[in-house]
Amino acid sequence: MERVKTPTGHELLTGFLPNGLHYAILPRPGFVKKYAILATKYGSLDSRFEVPGEGVVDVPDGIAHFLEHKLFEEADGNVFDRFAQWGASVNAFTSYTQTAYLFSTVDHMQEALDELIRFVTHPYLTEENVEKEKGIIVQELRMYEDHPDRRLHKNLLNALYHKNPIRLDIGGTPESVSRITVEWLMKCYRTFYQPANMVLVVVGDVDPQMVLDVAGQHFRGSDSARVGKRVYPEEPPEVNQNWVEDQLSISRPRCAVGIKSAPISDGWESLKLHLTMNIVLRLIAARSSPHYERLYNSGLIDDSFGASFNSTPYYCHAVFTSQTDDPRRFAGEIKGIIQETQNGPISEADVERLKRLLYGGYLASFDSLEYVANNYVSHYFNGTPYFKFLNILQSITVDDVQKAAVTYLDLDRSAVSILWPHGEEEK
Amino acid sequence: MDFTHCNLGAGVRLHLCETDKFNTVTLKMFIQQDLAPDSAAATAIIPALLKRGSQRFPSTRQIARELEYLHAASFSADVLKIGERQLLEFYFDMIDPTLLPDGEENGKRALATFWDIAMHPVTEGNGFVQEYFDQEKLNLRRDVEGLINDKRAYALARAVELMCPNEPYGVYRYGSVSAIDALQNTAAYRCYQDLLATRPIDIFLVGRNLDLVANEIARLEFSRREAATLEPPVVREPEGERWHEEEVPAQQSVLVLGYRTQTRYPDPDYYGLVVCNGVLGGFPHSKLFVNVRERASLAYYVGSFVDGTKGVLMINAGISAAKVDQAVGIIKEQVNALQQGQITPEELEQTKTGLCSSIAAMADDPSSIIDRNLVGLVNGEMRSFDDVFAAIRGVTAADVQKAAQALRLDTVYVLKGSSEKE
Repeated sequence: MERVKTPTGHELLTGFLPNGLHYAILPRPGFVKKYAILATKYGSLDSRFEVPGEGVVDVPDGIAHFLEHKLFEEADGNVFDRFAQWGASVNAFTSYTQTAYLFSTVDHMQEALDELIRFVTHPYLTEENVEKEKGIIVQELRMYEDHPDRRLHKNLLNALYHKNPIRLDIGGTPESVSRITVEWLMKCYRTFYQPANMVLVVVGDVDPQMVLDVAGQHFRGSDSARVGKRVYPEEPPEVNQNWVEDQLSISRPRCAVGIKSAPISDGWESLKLHLTMNIVLRLIAARSSPHYERLYNSGLIDDSFGASFNSTPYYCHAVFTSQTDDPRRFAGEIKGIIQETQNGPISEADVERLKRLLYGGYLASFDSLEYVANNYVSHYFNGTPYFKFLNILQSITVDDVQKAAVTYLDLDRSAVSILWPHGEEEK
Repeated sequence: MDFTHCNLGAGVRLHLCETDKFNTVTLKMFIQQDLAPDSAAATAIIPALLKRGSQRFPSTRQIARELEYLHAASFSADVLKIGERQLLEFYFDMIDPTLLPDGEENGKRALATFWDIAMHPVTEGNGFVQEYFDQEKLNLRRDVEGLINDKRAYALARAVELMCPNEPYGVYRYGSVSAIDALQNTAAYRCYQDLLATRPIDIFLVGRNLDLVANEIARLEFSRREAATLEPPVVREPEGERWHEEEVPAQQSVLVLGYRTQTRYPDPDYYGLVVCNGVLGGFPHSKLFVNVRERASLAYYVGSFVDGTKGVLMINAGISAAKVDQAVGIIKEQVNALQQGQITPEELEQTKTGLCSSIAAMADDPSSIIDRNLVGLVNGEMRSFDDVFAAIRGVTAADVQKAAQALRLDTVYVLKGSSEKE
């Protein structure tokens, strides 16, 4: 077991069980709530993989998310009721790269933790309960269809990527969901729900030994079946389409400008890039930026304007988005500002100020148990050393910022996604 | 995690929660007034204008740079609606000074910055800067028009509007488009000054070494005149069940049912209603979730919530247009079951435990520690964690049934998605 001091003075315990399960425990005396998350490195991107003895299989899209719904099913009663009796609230989510099951509770931590691990490691799937779930999931997908930012973003990813499965909705489509069967679900389950592919994080006023005992009872033995090997399609560097437009029942147009880059897998470099790009994007799109001020005062953007940088070992892109009456002009302005930032010079004072901001934000983030735990999971799966945050932050120079702006905002690899209100698209 | 209270005089109160649990010091200030169509819009524009500039930091950019420099201090402001009160909310946090190398200086400077932004906006003549006002008036109008972008939130706001057309409760928290259009800069500025001078002001602080901050605040100047009297909410019986349907191009329909509860926060049987709402639609073990979602597969989301200040209970669900009648039928059956006293010991126990633990968990988040007091604040009676736990624990199945029997369906609203695929 390893012990790490967090920058806020707390002690984090990490290690592996004999079967390969990674765990992290952060005791936080004084907090009322205890929070646990059990996650597997298996998300919507993993719909093509190699099964030992069977070769490469293609499963219907949306299956990771479907499986997440179904693990809540029990032969007798349901999982929600069990947690409810302890006053615990249980939930789950599926992202592109992981599926996570979590709960928070005030009392009965031991029982709740035991139940979390038990239900995730004991699937109960029948033809009937799988069929029944399809209606619920189709309503979930329809809800997202009406969600403007999701639609805008999905269209952007389809424009940026040719083959990377990030193009597809995490939940799949009503058509792909209709093809999901018990056999497919179990195949995915056996392939990816292996201890060596999973992590358990517990945060709150807990006894670490209790956590290890409970986990040890469920994850017995030292064997972990081989985790399926993912097969990712080769993604060309250039974008698929550089301009896409769509319409929806919204009050005002929205525009997103996306820029794709080659993903990097080295953990230290990846975290450093993440922080450096955070600074770059703030120089362009934060309220403290002169560009923000100019675009806002001209009425082109409103306070929905923002930017994000999404980098994992499997995809990497930056996105600038806003509601705007003139999406074409917005796209043009963003590209102009990016060029200006790349040409520099970038001010030392600006970079130092933004480093102070990131430093404060990092300390404040430890106040949210959920955030700390979820963040740990993402960084663990991506291999980024989150607890080296402050060292990495200190190492960032103006030169790093300038270089990242040039490399990771390459306008030759950009795409524009526009969402118009119905009837407004032809101008 | 309860507050100690102290009166700064002239309707200004300070509430302190000293704790070393967090890495931040959080301050929230609320100024409340009666919700009314005209003042709603005038009040709603104030947060946006305060963010545009203060006397020391006369632009959004200068404010943002200062907050970044202060190690991620943050300022925000918004408008809330609780019952028939509208609250101007100021939020401010900073890193606990003891965690920073330049902590004490950082803390003092952060507080001074907050005060400057909240209390000394940059002005022109008898108003805010005209250019800022014009822009924010347009942005506020777009915000209100933009409610349709979130179908669920839109359907809820619309249902409330249709349910309470002649009650202040029917007013949207940012006012109406027509009130925003008619709004003048001088009127908005006067509204801001009146709020500061005459309406109750409550300042909440959560964090470590609060004495230092509290002393700074006590030294600040409030120019107060006589305090205005605030009205209690309108309580009305429904005239009968009304049905409204509207159509938008969307993939999914949203169903809303609005009930009058006849029970409110000040009433002794209020916690019977709270538990009743929990059994009905507050949790994944609740009747609505189990029957509408898990048994009938009609919805992904379905639930209910109570506004105990006004006395309404709202149910909402995202469903397919073809299933509206079926869903309404199931929902009414569930309310009916409660009215008949069909409440199992497990449902009751799970709900009470669930409510208590979600309230207890609020003690882990500075904003929630403050916000859980807001209903008490507008009702003139803040309740401690322990009093609330005891009240919830004491609720019986008969109390829940009684609260359910008092429910009167007032309005059914359907936001119909016209582009649904079968």
